[in-house]
Amino acid sequence: MLEEGDFTVIKLQGVTKFYQTELGKKYIFKDLSFEIPTDHNIAILGSNGAGKSTLFRLLAGSEYPNKGKVVTHLELSWPVALATGIHAEMTGRENTRFIGRINGVNDLLEYEDKVKAFAELGKNYELPVKTYSSGMRSRLAFACSIAIDFDVYLIDEVTSVGDAGFKRKAKQALLEKSRDASVIMVSHDMRDIRQFCDSAIVLHAGELTFYNDLDEGIRHYQAL
Amino acid sequence: MARKTKRNPWVIWKDVIFALFAREIRVGFNDRLGIGWAILQPIIFIFVLSFFRGRLDQGETHTIPTFVFIAFGMVLIQCFLQTFTAGVKAIKKNKALFAFRQVQPISVVLASGLFELLIKIFVSLGMGLMMYFLNLDFQLSDPLSFIFYFLILWLFSLSLGFLVGIAVLYIPEIDKIQSLMTRPLFFISGVFFSLQDFPSDYWWLLDWNPILHAIELSRFAAYPSYGLVGVSNSYLAICVLISTFLSLSVYQACWKKAISR
Repeated sequence: MLEEGDFTVIKLQGVTKFYQTELGKKYIFKDLSFEIPTDHNIAILGSNGAGKSTLFRLLAGSEYPNKGKVVTHLELSWPVALATGIHAEMTGRENTRFIGRINGVNDLLEYEDKVKAFAELGKNYELPVKTYSSGMRSRLAFACSIAIDFDVYLIDEVTSVGDAGFKRKAKQALLEKSRDASVIMVSHDMRDIRQFCDSAIVLHAGELTFYNDLDEGIRHYQAL
Repeated sequence: MARKTKRNPWVIWKDVIFALFAREIRVGFNDRLGIGWAILQPIIFIFVLSFFRGRLDQGETHTIPTFVFIAFGMVLIQCFLQTFTAGVKAIKKNKALFAFRQVQPISVVLASGLFELLIKIFVSLGMGLMMYFLNLDFQLSDPLSFIFYFLILWLFSLSLGFLVGIAVLYIPEIDKIQSLMTRPLFFISGVFFSLQDFPSDYWWLLDWNPILHAIELSRFAAYPSYGLVGVSNSYLAICVLISTFLSLSVYQACWKKAISR
């Protein structure tokens, strides 16, 4: 599974992550070493507060471990959640342009039009995001990410807000990319997870366990 | 689908700061009242203050027209106060953007500092234009020095704001007292007086303040007859160097921890 060496995995090397609280350091991970294979579409399962979002943010480089590091040669997306990087006063197009610039997209105009078509926003694309419904926002956020070529897409609950039609479309887009890209996803909706993922990582008490088979992973997670 | 290019770190920096700056402008100018107020407020203050000061010394203050005298003080103290506040607020305000690994706190601070600088340049040009139309006797004999003082005061304000902005992440209460702390600066930085108005025995009460130095030096750069007493450009420059160095080192030491707070 890992024979292609570094180019198919995300390595966590001795990662320690804690948050300072009134009761002292709250450890999420202690000296955790793990290899996440990226030739699967992976669901991250874990109970509330187990550190799913933290793991996610560490992978994306939105936060940094207190010790150790995350090593990969792959291009990872930002954690695509409902509100990341979207400014409510700016229009859908302006937000798209901003995200495109940050990520170094070559042809911004082409990118904007792709996002517009994919998110099915129509004329709303030129209106401030504060006028959008939450479904429209999630479509915009998802479209901004899927329209850029990443090796791994990190998706945080964002699909749960879209309607059935959009979910189908999102799945279709990810399937088309699945030859050279994969998904790592956090969601509490098992139906969503079954739709997008084929294997799972269960996060429990600061330890990660990889399950090649999604159903096996879900069984272990529910038995926790 | 949209292609990305492999960028070297410098290009990423440039792209990110440009994107953030464009965003600042876009969102900043949404607030038309705010921008209008940014331009109008110093003008009102200058009129009021120069009216009072003008009554004391018949329209000319240490060889400078009183209006111009106050205008220098006002523009520079505003440059300090607003850039400082922008620097303090930038990190907290844009926290959501750190989800993009390309966006680091320092780029956010730089972008909002640049936006403040842009506004200040507009305010200064507007002020110059107004004085021209009011037929005020205005001279700027050493514009390069003036621009230099203006820019290093901006750098000073931004780096101090940056430092306080990082501190706020650790101790949120600082945010509440910082406006209280900076308020007196308006009165002790020589906006409506000159160091020359005071007997030199009491200068030590005021001349620790680099903003006062910047204001007095700028007046002197515009009117050599104003006379340069009690202030020095090397003191100002050293203060700026220290604050910049300090903020950059504190940032380097703790930004990775700071953004996860």
